[in-house]
Amino acid sequence: MNLHVIWAIVGMVLNVGVVLLAAPLFQGILRKITARIQSRQGPPIRQPYLDLLKLLGKEDIESGQTPAMQRFAAYLALASVLTAACLVPMGFRAPLNGAGDVILLIYLLTLCGICTLLAGLAAGSTYSLVGISREMMTMIALEPLFAIAIVVGAIHAHSFRLDSVLTGSVYSTARFPWSGALMLAVILLSFQAFVQRVPFDTSEAETELMEGPLMEYSGPKLALFKYASMAKLLVYSALFVAMFVPWGSGPSFFPGVGWLIFWAKVSVLVLLVTVVAATHARYRIDQAIRFFAGLLAVALVALVLATYGH
Amino acid sequence: MVARDRLNQLKEKFGASILRADLPADNRLFVIIEPSAVKAVCLYIFRDLDARYVISIGADDRPYSGKFLVAHDFAFDRDHVLCSILVYVSAASPRIDSITEVVPAASWAEREMRDLVGIEPVGHRYMKRLVLPDGWPENMHPLRKDVPWNQVPEGFDDTRELTFDEPPEGCMVVPFGPFHPTLDEPAHFRLYVEGEMVRGCEYRGFMAHRGIEKLAETVLSYNDIPMLAERICGICGCVHSVAYAQSVEDAAALKPPPRAEYIRTIMLELERLHSHLLWTGLACHIVGFDTLFMQSFRIREPIMWIAEKITGNRKTYGLCVIGGVRWDITPEVKTELSHVLDKLESEWRPVVDAVSKDKNIQKRTSGVGVANLKLVKDEALLGPVARAAGADLDCRRDHPYAAYDRVEFNVITAHGGDVWSRVLVRIQEVFESIRIIRQCLEKMEPGPIQLQINDELPAGRMGLSSVEAPRGESHHFVITGENNHPRRWRVRAPTYQNLQAVPAMIKDQQIADMTISLGSIDPCFSCTDRLETIDVRSGAVKVWSQQELLKLTRAKKV
Amino acid sequence: MKETAICLGAGRVTLPYPAAAKPVPEKFRGRPIFDARKCIGCAGCANNCPAREILIYDVSQEIRVLEYLGRRCTYCGRCADVCPEKAITMSKDFETATNQISDTRQRIELFMSTCQRCGRCFTEPSALETLKMKGYRFDDLQHDRWVFHSETFLEKDKVADDIEIELD
Repeated sequence: MNLHVIWAIVGMVLNVGVVLLAAPLFQGILRKITARIQSRQGPPIRQPYLDLLKLLGKEDIESGQTPAMQRFAAYLALASVLTAACLVPMGFRAPLNGAGDVILLIYLLTLCGICTLLAGLAAGSTYSLVGISREMMTMIALEPLFAIAIVVGAIHAHSFRLDSVLTGSVYSTARFPWSGALMLAVILLSFQAFVQRVPFDTSEAETELMEGPLMEYSGPKLALFKYASMAKLLVYSALFVAMFVPWGSGPSFFPGVGWLIFWAKVSVLVLLVTVVAATHARYRIDQAIRFFAGLLAVALVALVLATYGH
Repeated sequence: MVARDRLNQLKEKFGASILRADLPADNRLFVIIEPSAVKAVCLYIFRDLDARYVISIGADDRPYSGKFLVAHDFAFDRDHVLCSILVYVSAASPRIDSITEVVPAASWAEREMRDLVGIEPVGHRYMKRLVLPDGWPENMHPLRKDVPWNQVPEGFDDTRELTFDEPPEGCMVVPFGPFHPTLDEPAHFRLYVEGEMVRGCEYRGFMAHRGIEKLAETVLSYNDIPMLAERICGICGCVHSVAYAQSVEDAAALKPPPRAEYIRTIMLELERLHSHLLWTGLACHIVGFDTLFMQSFRIREPIMWIAEKITGNRKTYGLCVIGGVRWDITPEVKTELSHVLDKLESEWRPVVDAVSKDKNIQKRTSGVGVANLKLVKDEALLGPVARAAGADLDCRRDHPYAAYDRVEFNVITAHGGDVWSRVLVRIQEVFESIRIIRQCLEKMEPGPIQLQINDELPAGRMGLSSVEAPRGESHHFVITGENNHPRRWRVRAPTYQNLQAVPAMIKDQQIADMTISLGSIDPCFSCTDRLETIDVRSGAVKVWSQQELLKLTRAKKV
Repeated sequence: MKETAICLGAGRVTLPYPAAAKPVPEKFRGRPIFDARKCIGCAGCANNCPAREILIYDVSQEIRVLEYLGRRCTYCGRCADVCPEKAITMSKDFETATNQISDTRQRIELFMSTCQRCGRCFTEPSALETLKMKGYRFDDLQHDRWVFHSETFLEKDKVADDIEIELD
């Protein structure tokens, strides 16, 4: 019993630590690559660390209609992402394996999105309200996609446990895994929206809505939100790799190497996100919603196939 | 038909009301009429003779004729004639019939006339302050001759907020500006939205008003003003300085040497190139496509370098003096310019292909911000906005100036009237500009670049000049004066007319399309606001007054 | 994706300014430099400055002060154009930010001689001084030589073979 607890704590520290340390690094690499694609020099790779440090050092001004909610939303944003990080296997078994299952993971991920809504509500200005209405519409269309992917995995694995589902269980059928392939395609196409990058970042569209929900944030609270957004990129990528591309980095593999291979795969995914973000224009909200609705239909087909064993 | 034929047509219909007519050349017409006939004459010219409305101007002519002067400028594009209908109104009660009913595009010009000169347009349906802020005292009109250029008005109330109209039923108000990441200059659009759709809009602008016309009339001399004129706008500087120089040359009957005209043409087209490339980048940035934004700017950079080589500065060329230009194009510069143009053309073609076939951008811009031909005629829209709707208007061909009568080029039009058509028009115009510059470089003969002007310019003469800026027609009106400076100088930038149509263009569209619609007219607010003698921070964005805002930002809640 | 190919083909275009200096072209109009030795105090520059930033006043009968304030100077170059003595040059200096506004000032104090007949001012103490300024010659009586300041005004072909042109 004690060993489990120690192992859980060590794993949590490792996961959270890696996410916290590596998230700005990945963001920095992302910005550098985007800049090079645009023929620019780009900021140095350590820039996001410097940005966060600068923001943390600023004066903490509270504004908007409900400052208490503002504080709450900021803390919750980072906290929910880091908790989700503890539930995702990043090269070894998820630290909080026994404490939660995939349903908890789904809810935690949705919680991250809700934090933006809370932030916009706390500000209460016209632009933030329009921003959160967009965010709400996007969430309604988007969150089910990942949920369905996880459920498909759960159906195939016949359980909701983290270590059974998050190891490529979408493919574990006797016959050709149609549902797995469909879900892979669906999630790949909508991945940009989960990590809030072009072409699906309408709710934070700077040129249209002056940053939307995050309008009233400055200083340390903004740092928390930015950190949460960077960490989200990592956590979602890790989740994607764990679910759809698990080979070679599962918990059963040789520990250190598996861990490294896992992060290599995450890096490739981040690179893909960057390139897609740099080469597309932003979609308008109604166009984006229509796109997601189409994907949702495909996902439901995959769900039905899964229940029939495909 | 030439100007004389148009005058005869007017004489036939309104013989009794015409007091005097001046025909300084075949393409200029100045008609002085009775105040009572102004509405009828303008209706006849605008609708029956199908002229294009240009601008209305108010001037204080009391030291010379004892009266105020109102001028309504029209353009007969097919005949290459610019015409000005002048009316003298009494100094004791300066009022004139408003022509906004018959010419909707005159709405802003008449409000400006009232704010700055104090001539009241009787019958204007929306008589609100346009240029001066709401706290300005009542009877002080800055452009009157008895008001010194540096006077601070007494009784100025800087805490008074702007008064806005009531929004229509069921609409929420979304304020857009004066501080907004997409707008480079401050302007305030008050959008009335229902959900995501815009139902109406109110515009309050003129926050970047600088007192240019007043300065020109009082403290600057003829050759100083081009330096000021080129700073009216951050992109179309050459246009304004050339238009001003041409209007003075028009008034004083001076013709610059041919080489100077070619050089002016080349610099104008270089300016058009860099403006269109900048706009394309900006439009892509607005729809979120930063990569193409960076590329447009990278391709545009060599133009700025060659401009720096020719004139000494990337943008404020300091090009014109009355009667010529200050910089010559040496043979080395000529070869280098040819190389730059070749490289530009070869790099721009792939971008044009990429943009034309890009479904993403097309989806964001088709059917958005539509301006049809009726709007173009009623609101006197100009430039790529009008050409994208199918109107065949281009001052370079219709009112040739500088060396445009000696070069060949096509006028690009499209038919959609939406933002996508404007994108297509602008990216094609780049190739036409390159063609014009190449022809000028070939045809230019060596010679002097400035006129030797030995006598003082005659006073009291009027001059008009229309120049095709990248955004449309830029029209200048000058009355020459004594002591080496003009009596009146009016600058009408193209965005002045195009902005008036924005509420109609964004109606029943989504908020998200607001920025790209606004961006597609390529607004240059600095060109639009030209006058102010005091800086006022009165653009309260929401319902707070300036005092409250200041208090709020300074309060610290720990 | 086609656009990406264009961009990658172009490479990196960011210049390392301010780490490395960026040279400006020949005709670049930077800060104007006023040469006190050549100025004759005609006030042509002050008359033609659109920003009205050049001030001239006579302190006394013999002393004329010209001050270029440089605060609103737009580097248009009109002063350099109209100066009859080419005393103003538009330098290549564009990094002119400073903490003290007085750094932008340039002040010229001219000693104007008065004509004994009409009493009006003119600058150069003697005509020989003016010639020297323009690059003509000074006579070296000790060694029986002519010495020129510069060759620019001399004709390319020599008139006689035994004249030695020595430069200062």
